Amino acid sequence: MAFRLIHDGHAHEIEVVRRRPRLVLRIDGVEHIVASLGSGADGDDALEIDKHAVAFVRARDRDRQFIRLHGHVHEFAVADELAEEGGGEALDEVRSPMPGRVVALTKAVGESVARGETVMMIESMKMQLSLSAPRDGILASLSRGLGDSVDKDEIVARLEIPSVRA
Amino acid sequence: MPERARDEPVLAPHAPLFRKVLIANRGEIVVRIARTLRELFIPSVAIYHAVDAQSPHLVACDEAVEIEGEAPVAAYLDIERIVSAARAIGADAIHPGYGFLSENASFARRVAAAGLAFIGPDADTIALMGDKISAREFAAKHGVPVAPSVRSNGDLADFARRAATIGFPLLIKAAAGGGGKGMKIVRAERELAEAARIASSEAERYFGDGRIYAELYVDRPRHIEAQILGDGAGEAIHLFERECSIQRRFQKIIEEAPAPNLPPEIRARMLDAAVRLARASRYKNAGTIEFILGADGRFFFLEMNTRLQVEHPVTEMITGIDIVRAQIEIAAGQGLPFAQPDVVARGAAIECRICAENPDRDFLPETGVLHYLRKPEGEGVRFENALRVGQAITSEFDPMLAKLVTHGADRDKAIDRMQAALDDLAILGVTTNADYLGRVLADASFRAAVLHTDFVVERTDALRAPPDPRRLRLALIAAALGDANFRDVITSVPDPHATMGPWRN
Amino acid sequence: MRPIRSTLSTSSAEFRRNDAHNRALVAEFRARQEAARYDRPPRDLERLARQGKLLPRERIEKLLDPGTPFLELSSLAANAAYGGEAPAASCNAGIGIVSGREVMIRADDSSVKGGAWYPLTVKKIVRSLDIALENRLPVIHLCDSAGGFLPLQAELFPDRHMAGRIFRNQSLLSKLGVQQLALIFGHCTAGGAYIPALSDYNVIVRGTGAVFLGGPPLVRAATGEDVSVEDLGGAAMHTSVSGVCDYPAASEEEAIRIGREIVHAWRRPRKFAAPPEAVEAPAYDPEELYGVLPDDPKRQFDMREIIARMVDGSRFHEYQPNYGLTLVCGFANIWGFKVGILANNGVLFNDSSLKGAHFIELCNQNETPLLFLQNITGYMVGREYERKGITKDGAKMIMAQSCSRVPKFTVMCNGSFGAGNYGMCGRAFDGRFVFSWPNHQIGVMGGEQAANTLADVKLNQMRRLGVVDPDEIEKVRRETLLAYQEQLSAYHATSELWDDGILDPVDTRNALGVALSASGNAPLGEPGYGVFRF
Repeated sequence: MAFRLIHDGHAHEIEVVRRRPRLVLRIDGVEHIVASLGSGADGDDALEIDKHAVAFVRARDRDRQFIRLHGHVHEFAVADELAEEGGGEALDEVRSPMPGRVVALTKAVGESVARGETVMMIESMKMQLSLSAPRDGILASLSRGLGDSVDKDEIVARLEIPSVRA
Repeated sequence: MPERARDEPVLAPHAPLFRKVLIANRGEIVVRIARTLRELFIPSVAIYHAVDAQSPHLVACDEAVEIEGEAPVAAYLDIERIVSAARAIGADAIHPGYGFLSENASFARRVAAAGLAFIGPDADTIALMGDKISAREFAAKHGVPVAPSVRSNGDLADFARRAATIGFPLLIKAAAGGGGKGMKIVRAERELAEAARIASSEAERYFGDGRIYAELYVDRPRHIEAQILGDGAGEAIHLFERECSIQRRFQKIIEEAPAPNLPPEIRARMLDAAVRLARASRYKNAGTIEFILGADGRFFFLEMNTRLQVEHPVTEMITGIDIVRAQIEIAAGQGLPFAQPDVVARGAAIECRICAENPDRDFLPETGVLHYLRKPEGEGVRFENALRVGQAITSEFDPMLAKLVTHGADRDKAIDRMQAALDDLAILGVTTNADYLGRVLADASFRAAVLHTDFVVERTDALRAPPDPRRLRLALIAAALGDANFRDVITSVPDPHATMGPWRN
Repeated sequence: MRPIRSTLSTSSAEFRRNDAHNRALVAEFRARQEAARYDRPPRDLERLARQGKLLPRERIEKLLDPGTPFLELSSLAANAAYGGEAPAASCNAGIGIVSGREVMIRADDSSVKGGAWYPLTVKKIVRSLDIALENRLPVIHLCDSAGGFLPLQAELFPDRHMAGRIFRNQSLLSKLGVQQLALIFGHCTAGGAYIPALSDYNVIVRGTGAVFLGGPPLVRAATGEDVSVEDLGGAAMHTSVSGVCDYPAASEEEAIRIGREIVHAWRRPRKFAAPPEAVEAPAYDPEELYGVLPDDPKRQFDMREIIARMVDGSRFHEYQPNYGLTLVCGFANIWGFKVGILANNGVLFNDSSLKGAHFIELCNQNETPLLFLQNITGYMVGREYERKGITKDGAKMIMAQSCSRVPKFTVMCNGSFGAGNYGMCGRAFDGRFVFSWPNHQIGVMGGEQAANTLADVKLNQMRRLGVVDPDEIEKVRRETLLAYQEQLSAYHATSELWDDGILDPVDTRNALGVALSASGNAPLGEPGYGVFRF
C-alpha cells in the first residue's frame, strides 16, 4: 500500500525502493539513500541521508507530525483516503444489540447524522442504551417508533450513503 | 546567594521595598517581573484565570490567586476582583505589566484608593497620555515636534475636509486607541470620507470612544522610541532609544537598541525632547516616548506609553540596567536610582517577538498545542517566556508566545547571535513566525539597517520562504521514519527479501 | 569455498550464437508471459472498472510490502489449453512478503472469464496449497470467481486431486497451525464459498463481495425463493448475522489494508533452517547464461558454467571431483542459503549414479537442501552397463532422492528425459519447487529419438507385411517429430502444470532465493531410507 504524507495540501508518496544494503527511498521522483534510521522518537533525532548528517526535531500529535529541519518547520499528516468515507465503516444500518423498548428518538428521517451520533435510545434490562450511526450519512428510514419494542440484532434504522467509492 | 525556600522568612541586607507585590498580568512578563522581585527579596503574587491554571507564570511567583470570570481576558481586566485579591493576600503594591490594565487610569486610581502602591505613573499622567489628542497637544506645548494633524469634532464631513489640508498620505487614528489598533492609512482624498467613517465606528466599538484624528503620514518612516524614567517630582532621565520599525499590522515584531545609523545629532534632539516631555509632565516611573523619523531627518511625536514596554529587554541589555527594579525603587519612593551620566550604552541588542501566527497567510493567528519546546540559551541570549510543553495555544490571548533577545559587541554580532538563537529555538505544534524572523534577519536590507515601518509589506515577496524541494524531501523522510507503520514496513522485512528488493519474474 | 574458474570465452562465435538464440527464446517467453498477464478483452476490463474492482494483479501489488520481491508461479499455466481462453489458468499464485511475513498469495483472476475455475485452475490452486502445506507458508486468498467452469466439470470436480483437494488442503493447513486469510473481492459460490469459510480470517468488500453455497439463480431454481445477492450472501449479512465473515470493508483498498493489519498481527513463524549467511553476488554476470546454453539441444555444455553464474560469489565446493564425471556434485550458497547441487554433465552412469546417491545422503546428514540442475537424456544403456548393474545403481539414486528429508528444488535447464527425470527429482518426487527454462524439453525420450524409434517400428511392421514405403516411413518420422515438438516443449509442460513455472535463466537465482527462504518454515522430514539394492 502506498505511504503518503500530506504537506501544505499536497500529497507526497514515499516509496521504498530497496532496504539493503542501504535503505533507498523515492520521493517526488527523486531517490535518497538513508544510511541510518534515527530513533523515530519525538525530540531531537538525526538521519544520514545521501552521506550527509541531517539533524532535526520531531513532535507528534495524533496523526500529525511536526519536523523542524534546516531552520524550517514542516507540518505533515498521514494521508488516509479511507478516513474521508466517514470512518471507513462498511455498514449503513443501526442495529439494536439487545431486546428492549425505544424510549427516545434523537434524529428524524432526512436529517444528516455523523459517525457516532445517537439516533435513538432504548431501554433494556434496566439500562438505557444509546444506538448510534456507524458512519456519516443521512437517516433514510426508522423502522421503530417511540414506545415500540425491538428484538436483538434488529435493524432499527438505515442510513443513506453517498455511492460507494470505486 | 543560596536559593531560599519559598516560605522561609526573608533575611535581606535591608528591609525589602514592599511587603508583597501582586503582578496584574499573565505570561512571560509575570515571569520576568517575578525574577526581579525575587532578587529584591520581595514576595510576588500571580493572578490567573482558570484556563491559565497550569501556566508557568504561577509557579514563577511565590503565591497565586485565581480570578474568577467567564471570559479569560475579562478576568485580567477585572479591576475590582484584582484589587480585592491584592488586599486579601496582603500585597502592598501592584505591578500592572504591559497591556491589560497597565494604561487604565481608573485602575491606577482604584489601586491608590485601596492604599496600595501602583508601580507605574500617576493616574492623571496615564489619563493625559492615554488620550492621544491631549497627549499631542501637551507635547506640542512643550516643544516636542508633532506631525500636522486634525481632530474630529463629530462632523465627519467637516473633519474630512480639514484633514485633506494635511496632505497625503495621512493616517487616521483613534484618540483612545493605541498599540497599533484602529489605524488607517489614506492615500487619496476620495478615500478619506469613507475611511473616516469606518475608523470612527471601529474606535467606538473597540475603545468605547469614537473620536478620531488625522495625522500626516510620513512615508517609510522609522519608528524610534526613547525609554525614560521619571521621579514624579519633575526630574527625568533617558535610557537611550530603541528602533522598532519592523512591524506587521502596525505591531512590532523586531526591536533593537540602539537605533542603527542614527545621526548623533538627531539622537540627541530626540532624547532631549523625550526627557523634556517627561519632566514637563512630572512623569513618575518608567515610560516610553515614541517618535516617527522621516528620511529627511524630521521627527514627530507619535505617542507616549505610560508603562513598561514589551521590548524593554533590549534597553536593559545595552545599559545593564534592570528597568523593573528601577520601577520598583521609584514606586517605593526612592526616587531615580541613578543619574544620567551613569547611563552608558555598550554594544547592541535585538529582540524578536515569537508569535503564534502564519506569515504566509498574512500573519493570521494560529492555534495548536505546544508539543515540543527547545529554548535557546547561551551568552548574550535571553529567552523571555512562560511556555509549558503541552499547553494549548488558543485565540483567547495575544498571539505572542515569547521574546528572544540577544546582545552583541556590535549590531552585526547581535544579529549573528540572534540567527544562531533562532536556529536553536524549536517550537513545534503551532505555527510560529520564527522561521520568518530568521529570513528578516538574513535579509540584506536588514543587515544594512535600511529600516522603516513598511519594511515587512514592501519586502513581502523577498521574505517569502523560498521553495526548497530537497529540504522538503528530507523532512518527508524524517516524518516517514517517525511513523510507526512506515518504520515497520522498512524494518520488518527479512532477508533475503530485504536485499533482493522489488524483483519480479 | 573457491570460485569456479570459467573456461568459456565470452567473445567466441559459439558464445555469441548461443547468446542470440537464448535471448530470442527469452524474449518470446517474456512476450507470452506479458500477454498472459495483461492481454484481456476490453469489455472484461470495462466490466471490472464498472464494478469498482481493481485488477487482480493490482490487488496483489497493493497487498505486498513495497520494495520486496514476488515470485510468481506458473505464469503460463493453461497456455496450450482451452484454445487459449484461460491465460494463467485464470488465477495467480506466488510467494511474497506482506507485513514482513512470507506468504503464499493466490488470487482468482476475474478479468478472465469472470475468474471461472477451469480444470487447470483447480490444479493450480491445489498446487499452490500443496506448496503452502509443504513449506508451512501462510496463505492469503484473493477471492473473486464466477465458480467452476461447468462445461468441464467432470475434469475439475470428482477426482482425488480436484476441487475437493483445495478444501482438504485448507483444513490440513489449519491443523498445522498455518494461518489463512481470505479477502473477498467478488463472488465465492458453491465450493468457492468454503475458501473463506475455511480461512482463519476473512474480509469481505461491501457491494461486490458475496459468499453463498448457491447463488440467487440456483436458489430460485431450487426452492423458488427470490433473494438478492446482498441479502443472500453480502457483507452486511455475513459480518453481522451469520458470522461467516469477520471484517466488512467499504472498498477493495480498505480490505487490503485490513488484510495487511491482520497479517501484521500473526506470530512470527519458527524457522527450521539455519539463517542465511552473508550474501555475495555471483562473480560472473548471470546474463552470460544466455551464452552458455547451446542453441542446439543435442550439444553438451558444462554445468559448472551454469553454477558459476547462479551461486554466491560463484563459489562451489565440488564433491568427488574426479569420479562420476557426468554428474557434478557440490556445495554452494544461494542468497546465503547453503545448498547441495547435483547437475548433469551427460548421461548417468553407474559411477555417477552412486556418487549422486552418496552425495544425497551427505546432504541429508548435513540438513542441506538439495538443488537438482537437470540436463539429462537418461541413464546409460548397453550390455556393459546392464551387467554392471546400472538399473540397481539408478534405483539407489532414486531411493536416496525419494527418501530425502531435506527440501528439494529442481531446475530443468535443458533436457529432462526418461528415467533421468526420476533420479534428478522430477515432478513426481515432491520437490518443493520445480522450475524450467524456455529451452527446456521434457518427455519420455527426445523428439528425434522418438521419431527414429517409431520410424523403425513402422519399417519393421512394413517388412513383416512385405511392402516398404519410404514416404510412409518419412511421414511417420515427420509427424512424430512435429507432435513431439509440441508435447516436449516447456510451454506445453508448464501449461499442464508439470512444473511451477518457466523462468528466464537469469531470474533463477532470485527465484531459488525466495524458494529456499520459504522452505525453511517447515520442519525436515524423518531421516531414513528404504532398502538400497546393493
